[in-house]
Amino acid sequence: MHIRFMVLAAAAVAAVAVAGCDEKLSDLTGPTPSLQPTFSSIQHEIFDTTDPSGRLACINCHTNAGGRIPPAGLNLASGASYTSLVGASSTEKPGLMRVNPGDPENSYIIHKLEGRAGIIGVRMPRGNGPFLTEGQMLVIKRWIELGAKND
Amino acid sequence: MKPTRLLILLFSVVALALPQIAAAQNNRAASSDDDPDRDINLSQPDFTLVALPTTLRVPRFRSAFRVTHRFTRPLGQGDFGDLAGDLFGIDSGAAIGLEYRFGLMRGLQVGIHRTNDRTIELFTHYSLLQQGTKGPVGLDGIASIEGTNNMGLSGPDSTHSYTPVLGVAVSRELGKYGAVYVEPMWVNNSNPLPSEIADDNDTFMTGIGLRLRVRPSVYVVGEYTPRAGYKPGVNQGSFAIEKRLGGHVFQMNFSNGFGTTLGQVARGGTSNDDWYLGFNISRKFY
Repeated sequence: MHIRFMVLAAAAVAAVAVAGCDEKLSDLTGPTPSLQPTFSSIQHEIFDTTDPSGRLACINCHTNAGGRIPPAGLNLASGASYTSLVGASSTEKPGLMRVNPGDPENSYIIHKLEGRAGIIGVRMPRGNGPFLTEGQMLVIKRWIELGAKND
Repeated sequence: MKPTRLLILLFSVVALALPQIAAAQNNRAASSDDDPDRDINLSQPDFTLVALPTTLRVPRFRSAFRVTHRFTRPLGQGDFGDLAGDLFGIDSGAAIGLEYRFGLMRGLQVGIHRTNDRTIELFTHYSLLQQGTKGPVGLDGIASIEGTNNMGLSGPDSTHSYTPVLGVAVSRELGKYGAVYVEPMWVNNSNPLPSEIADDNDTFMTGIGLRLRVRPSVYVVGEYTPRAGYKPGVNQGSFAIEKRLGGHVFQMNFSNGFGTTLGQVARGGTSNDDWYLGFNISRKFY
């Protein structure tokens, strides 16, 4: 009986020891390994920073710095981006919000970043890529799914 | 030649080159030597149903081998002429698995199962209770861990994912006419995505299964695995007909998915509208 308990315990311990196995988010997000599904992280890693793959920072164009008028009225500069995005109607497709909290599939920013059929204008970032990777898109979608909080 | 095909060939040669073992098993039939685990169990002739485990014990220092094969062409695709033209899916690609299990001590078995999507599953079963001797049911404790991409052995840069499983298999033998099974299991990290971007990372599933002996050496088998937690696709289900022949069991099966490891079963089948032809061949080396 002792042997049974020992074997069972060893198996359970071995399984529990490896339980909690999880993939690293950084393995998924490629050129932005620090990217997290939070607004502050997306602001820093996606909007503000050109990543090592060559994907351009959004604020190269979408900013009002220096008196510029942001394309499509979308200002992604820090401090202005959240209100420009979350719950705001798209100027290109007024029937859709740019970010519809909890609903990435009906958020126009996702359509534009993935270059879906039906978008007005071109896929973002402008210039035929590099575009956001699948992993980066999963993180942005997750942030929207979680309610698109200003966190 | 691809490594998986080479392995299949090697194992097939070994299996076919040992007919004396099958003969010995036939001669022994129901008579036991000193280890009753070596007797043929008419109600549980094999270590698995289709994908789910049974509570059949591997005798101490003996072993068994199994090939799993699932053709990837849905049987409902096209009309009957298309299906016949593809020889019922045999012309298509396949999800293939090779498995070896070994009895370390009485009631304790360990094994390895490798599928051609580069998943390696290491498993162990411990027989906690045997029907008839100490209880009304058979009960096995089951622990396994599987890793994608050869468990990361392909190189330091290879991305891989580990999925540990803890569970039990409960069996109730129906005389010599088969057995029914209930197998609750917890599958950790069944979701291949990081938990930061996933709603559920684990699956709790309860496999239910039935094997019925309809002829002296012919069985029909069915299994279904409802899930909770992370449950993409549909719950995997299978049914099969099989023939025991000496130390071999030849099974032809139909499944709505390709899963043959517990983690793969947790990730579900493809669709309830798509069923796939497959087979299992197992061989006991005792």
